[in-house]
Amino acid sequence: MAQTKYLMSNGLAFSEQRDMETLRKKALKGWHLKGFRFMGYELEYGEPEDVIYSIDYRVLAPDEEAEYFDMFSSAGWTHVCSEYNTHIFKATPGTAPIYSDIESKKEKIERLAEPVKWIVPFLVGMTFVFWLLFTFSSGVVESISRWIFFFFLVLTIPALMTLFATYYHRWKKL
Amino acid sequence: MKSLEQLTDSVFYIMAALTEPRHGYAVMNLVEETTNGQVVIGPASLYTIIKKLLNEQLISLHDDTDSRRKVYVLTEKGRDILRVDIKRRKIMVELAEKGLERRWE
Repeated sequence: MAQTKYLMSNGLAFSEQRDMETLRKKALKGWHLKGFRFMGYELEYGEPEDVIYSIDYRVLAPDEEAEYFDMFSSAGWTHVCSEYNTHIFKATPGTAPIYSDIESKKEKIERLAEPVKWIVPFLVGMTFVFWLLFTFSSGVVESISRWIFFFFLVLTIPALMTLFATYYHRWKKL
Repeated sequence: MKSLEQLTDSVFYIMAALTEPRHGYAVMNLVEETTNGQVVIGPASLYTIIKKLLNEQLISLHDDTDSRRKVYVLTEKGRDILRVDIKRRKIMVELAEKGLERRWE
């Protein structure tokens, strides 16, 4: 049985670069990225390795996968793992970066924001509806809607933070 | 590439390579070799730009028998747009060359 451990992500929208750096340091100590886990990564123990990691966001149709991954492997980037629209690759230090132009890089951040953009209005709306409900009701309805309000609030805040982070990166980082 | 009037350098290189049918990896290689390694198009940029050119119908799928290495080629529309951009770039270079030829002292 291979030894594995969990590494928590700092949130890709906030600090993608930091996550990739952390993964690199772990690989130098023999802990290699194996896959995604809830809000983080699963690492597997093996030989120490000097590698750099890069991430890309893209929804791929089944007939697009082969070509997409072949372009990366041809350029020296080995596919490590994927989950939904997120793909991580590794390469030896010095390999040319996966993004070579600013325009494409900007669109990458837009794609990262894509799912969040849809979820945020829904969550904000639900939070507001249940806030109204518990404010203007009484008894059982009030206490139930109060709980549902807090439930949505807990989801809305990180979702909003993620959305703002993607906007921030779009203008600041590039 | 929100407006097609001005192609970015990366788009220009890729379109120039696709004047003949080529797959993505061949495009990457051709650009790197012709520029003596000065321009290396990253795989994520290459994929993004190819998808965009397809969308804008500036290139078309020429051969997809190998799903790993799909072959693309410029369309007539793509050729026209490339010609316009060559002209724009020529004016740019001429301005600089003529300027350097004339000594102002």
